[in-house]
Amino acid sequence: MTALDTTPATTAATPAGPHAVTRAWRALRSSRTALVGLAVVAVHILVALLAPLLTSYDPIAGDASQALLGPSPQHWAGTDQYGRDVLARVLYGGRYALGVSVAATLVTVALGTVVGCAAALRGGWFDDLLGRVLDAILSVPSILALLVVVTALGTGPAVIVLAIAVVYVPQVVRVVRGAALAVVPMDYVTAARARGESTWAILRREVLPNITDVVCVEFAMRASWVVLLISSLSFLGFGADPPTPDWGLMVAENRTAITVVPMASLAPIIALATLVVGLNLAADGLAKAWGVDRIREGS
Amino acid sequence: MLSFTLRRLASAVGTLFLSSVLVFLAVQALPGDVATQILGKDATPDAVAALRQQLGLDRPAWERYVDWIKGALHGDFGTSLVSGKGVGGEVAQYLGNSALIAFVTVLFAVTGSLVLGVLAGLYRDRWPDHLISTVSLVGMSVPEFVVATVLVLCFSVALPWFPAVVLYGPEAGVGQLLPAVWLPALALAVVMAAYIVRMARTSVIDVMAGEFVTTARLKGLSTWRIVTRHALPSALLPTLHVIALNVAWLAGGVAVVENVFNYPGIGKLMLSSVQNRDLPVIQAIALVSAVIYVVCNLAADLGAMALNPRLRTRGRTR
Amino acid sequence: MTSVVSVDSLCVAYRSGGREVPVVREVSLEVAPGRTLALVGESGSGKSTVAATLLGHLRHGSRVTGGRVHVDGRDVFALPARELRQLRGGTVAMVAQNAGQALTPTMRIGRQIAEAGGEMPVVDLLDQVRLPRPAELARRYPHELSGGQQQRVAIAMAIAARPKVLVLDEPTTGLDVITQRGVLDLIAALRDELGLAAVLVSHDLGVVAHLADEVCVLNAGRVVEAAATRRLFTAPQDPYTKRLLASVPRLDDPGLAVVNEAGERTVRARAAVPDGAPVAVAASDVTVDYGSARAVHGVSFAVRRGEVLALVGESGSGKSTLAWTLAGLRTPSGGTMSHEAGDLGRPAPKRPLALRRRVQLVFQNADTSLNPRRSVGDAVSRPLRFFGTATGRTDADEQARRLISDVRLDPALADRLPAQLSGGQRQRIGIARALAGEPDVLIADEITTALDVSVQAEVLRLLDDLRRERDLACLFISHDLAVVRGVADRVVVLRRGVVVEEGPTEAVFGAPGHPYTRRLMAAALEPDPDAPGLPEDTPEWVDAAGTDGIWTDLGDGHRVRHWQPVNTPVAEGVS
Repeated sequence: MTALDTTPATTAATPAGPHAVTRAWRALRSSRTALVGLAVVAVHILVALLAPLLTSYDPIAGDASQALLGPSPQHWAGTDQYGRDVLARVLYGGRYALGVSVAATLVTVALGTVVGCAAALRGGWFDDLLGRVLDAILSVPSILALLVVVTALGTGPAVIVLAIAVVYVPQVVRVVRGAALAVVPMDYVTAARARGESTWAILRREVLPNITDVVCVEFAMRASWVVLLISSLSFLGFGADPPTPDWGLMVAENRTAITVVPMASLAPIIALATLVVGLNLAADGLAKAWGVDRIREGS
Repeated sequence: MLSFTLRRLASAVGTLFLSSVLVFLAVQALPGDVATQILGKDATPDAVAALRQQLGLDRPAWERYVDWIKGALHGDFGTSLVSGKGVGGEVAQYLGNSALIAFVTVLFAVTGSLVLGVLAGLYRDRWPDHLISTVSLVGMSVPEFVVATVLVLCFSVALPWFPAVVLYGPEAGVGQLLPAVWLPALALAVVMAAYIVRMARTSVIDVMAGEFVTTARLKGLSTWRIVTRHALPSALLPTLHVIALNVAWLAGGVAVVENVFNYPGIGKLMLSSVQNRDLPVIQAIALVSAVIYVVCNLAADLGAMALNPRLRTRGRTR
Repeated sequence: MTSVVSVDSLCVAYRSGGREVPVVREVSLEVAPGRTLALVGESGSGKSTVAATLLGHLRHGSRVTGGRVHVDGRDVFALPARELRQLRGGTVAMVAQNAGQALTPTMRIGRQIAEAGGEMPVVDLLDQVRLPRPAELARRYPHELSGGQQQRVAIAMAIAARPKVLVLDEPTTGLDVITQRGVLDLIAALRDELGLAAVLVSHDLGVVAHLADEVCVLNAGRVVEAAATRRLFTAPQDPYTKRLLASVPRLDDPGLAVVNEAGERTVRARAAVPDGAPVAVAASDVTVDYGSARAVHGVSFAVRRGEVLALVGESGSGKSTLAWTLAGLRTPSGGTMSHEAGDLGRPAPKRPLALRRRVQLVFQNADTSLNPRRSVGDAVSRPLRFFGTATGRTDADEQARRLISDVRLDPALADRLPAQLSGGQRQRIGIARALAGEPDVLIADEITTALDVSVQAEVLRLLDDLRRERDLACLFISHDLAVVRGVADRVVVLRRGVVVEEGPTEAVFGAPGHPYTRRLMAAALEPDPDAPGLPEDTPEWVDAAGTDGIWTDLGDGHRVRHWQPVNTPVAEGVS
């Protein structure tokens, strides 16, 4: 058989390009759910960035004479008990929620990915011990841990980011470890081991490229949880300090007046819910498009 | 089978031990100890030191840890800095009230979500699936305080069926609390069910695509029999752990909802003790939550053993 | 109408990315009562799809685009749901490929069989498929049975309701050769006993020759040839059938079979190992443990440069463990392994780089041996750079392309991802990657097991070429005796981690000395309907090594481990 074998395989039904970005984009385009979700999130980010252009009202300064107004041409969503424009507060409110959530999620997922991969690759006593410690952390309710940290160290954004990382890293580690464990027994990892490659090189070259999809989905998913947790914290009065515009805080402030000015409570609720729905849709869509939904659900 | 149970038990005890150490260390790491809390900011250093000695806070940390654990094993968690009562009794009282909510929540959330999840899985990509999946997606996207607020709006304000807030203290009887249980339980059940529905759906789809289900189909069995006898036992396995995690989550998850309804449960106690920096109470709640978490996971593992003959028959010879 | 199954220009297609991809095109066939028809073809030929339509079953996303399927006079795809259910199991029953996954893991097998209907008590059915202690077995769960037992249970389930037609989808794939022989004999016996019509799906021409009355050869969804079994095997008409038949290695080939486009086969004489070739790698008394279980028990061998040594055995014989230990992926718990460049007793990370690169492993499954996210060129150039064979990135890429063309592939494939290559192409890339270290010892761990027979022939040919060109010492691991016969110079037969026989290939195949070797050879199925059955009854035996020596030497390096016959009644071939 001297002729070179050039026949393309029939199994290659999906003409995947060699680059992860093209692959990701193709998966995205094929999933309407993911596109819708990401679009919703993008709108939220834009609104938060452009808030000063979208409203002329100050989200913090109130006008007592304008308190508790219903929706009107001047105040589309009415005003709250201090006479602050609800719409302005909702538009600005995304800044705090998104800023803190994105930072917290980034830290959490990055840390969780490194530790999870290391646990899967090293195995042995390291994996066992880590599993125990993570289980112990998970056994304390996240809201309690968060409350204690915040009361002790203050409610600054940096503190909240760190506290969330501590609370959610164990869960990310579990998911990533699970995904990495599916890759580690593969023969190409074994081949790299037989070559004598370092753990770090195996992680970077062989394992990470094969779990990027899981990590991305985990990011979207975890971001939605973080947004929920931060808003709950604010609602309980342990998060954003008044008068910072924040959705959770707004609901807490205006809840008692819900029969008088329902929009003051509903507007932040809608904003919050759409953001989280968007994140969840993105996570769902991506997971389905990449076929990683099974690994994730177990978390 | 016995060895599996024993090993699992030992591991549960190990986790509990680690959690207790973690909780103890975390509380130690907080700025200000019990003595400074009691005496306030303006106390002289001498007074603080004297109280420290009196409370035994000057002893090494490990000794205090051992004391704490010894007491905890007998139900003695020290005295509350706020009420001056025994922490053990106080936590038990609030916990009992929360258990009422938790029981109703788990009952409705677990049964309801399993039925819905299995339905969605069986009708994959058809309208019942789309409906159930969309509702559960919204359920997990809306924070508990929002669900609670909306429920109050609907069933206390618009239709005055249930009380919007509880007016009783922690010592209220079951009869007094019972009317106030339903709305918090419903709010929690919505959030909890969302996750279980999704897991149940995924694993049903997974199992229904398995070869043994195809074999059962090609045997000419009815769909009902295939689902109940062949698919469900395997499909419930992964769902069990998600149920356990969610039940354990209730220990902390009740905080927000109880606060909305002013319900005198463990979540309310948690909040007020954090606000008052009532360290012994915080420590006790954390430990109790850890116990709940470990017990739930243990129950899930033992349940999995009952469902999975591979685990059950391990060790039996071929 | 005399035929019990009749398929009339059946077309099946599945939807993929908005397009309809045909998988079965205009297939027609008939099966008369009591006859066995085999559907033969390589992967992707549509043979399993056709078989499943007899039960009115299509995979998710597939649909019938034309034609009809009649079973017992009924149009299967026109039946209402209720009657289709009665047809399944009652009239036509299926034995699936992998019984381990086809049985419900959470149900006792007795209940699963009872569910299939029929009046026969479960115990009688289990007895009928020659399973021992049926009453006790019925109370077991599937995972408590061996692979062969699971397959017998699946068969019992299929015949429970006394169907007229039995569909067998690769019924013995994945079973060891002796177990396979037992299951096939059982199927043949039951078929004759119950007067069943059978449709057998298989890629294994040996199985087909053994069992079928008629054969239907499928290629890319079309029937290319249909004939009575004997005629098809003796005088194939279609070039594809000819190539397929010629590609199957035979137990009596004195060398490697080479097949040309027209399907003519020539046997290439084995390259002689030059006298005085140095020993490249030697193992002495090697023992490997997994926890408390001993996988390899005191195995010794040596491979010279330019020589191919085959390790042969069933699953659990420890042959792959031995290969991985040699490659440095397991640590032996006893014995020594050495290479001319150093000690191989240590795991790979602790071996010096120069030694590591000289012993290279090629993996069994080409699907998992290449990183799906990296181009195949990258897979080959990485070891080039890692081992320092290449000096820079461009040099590595250039050398990688040269290696890819060395394994008879177009270097332009270097930019592709593994998923865009066929199984055979991937396996060649795996070989190219192993060659990148410029090894003198190549360990080939079941490298052709997952490949179709025509692709297998090409890969074997490549391996044979490479060891000539590069003077490689090659350790060839396989469960397939016919494949070994074509490529190996010497053979080592392993059973449960112990060597029972070793020697030059001709000597071992010509006069196997150990009853286990004999039984292995007797169980191997030749693609020839006239092949003799079990040539002799191999005696039941026990190991007798130790008391007075271990080996019986037959000369020329051919030696057999001591054994002695036992006089217990021969059990039916139950695994």
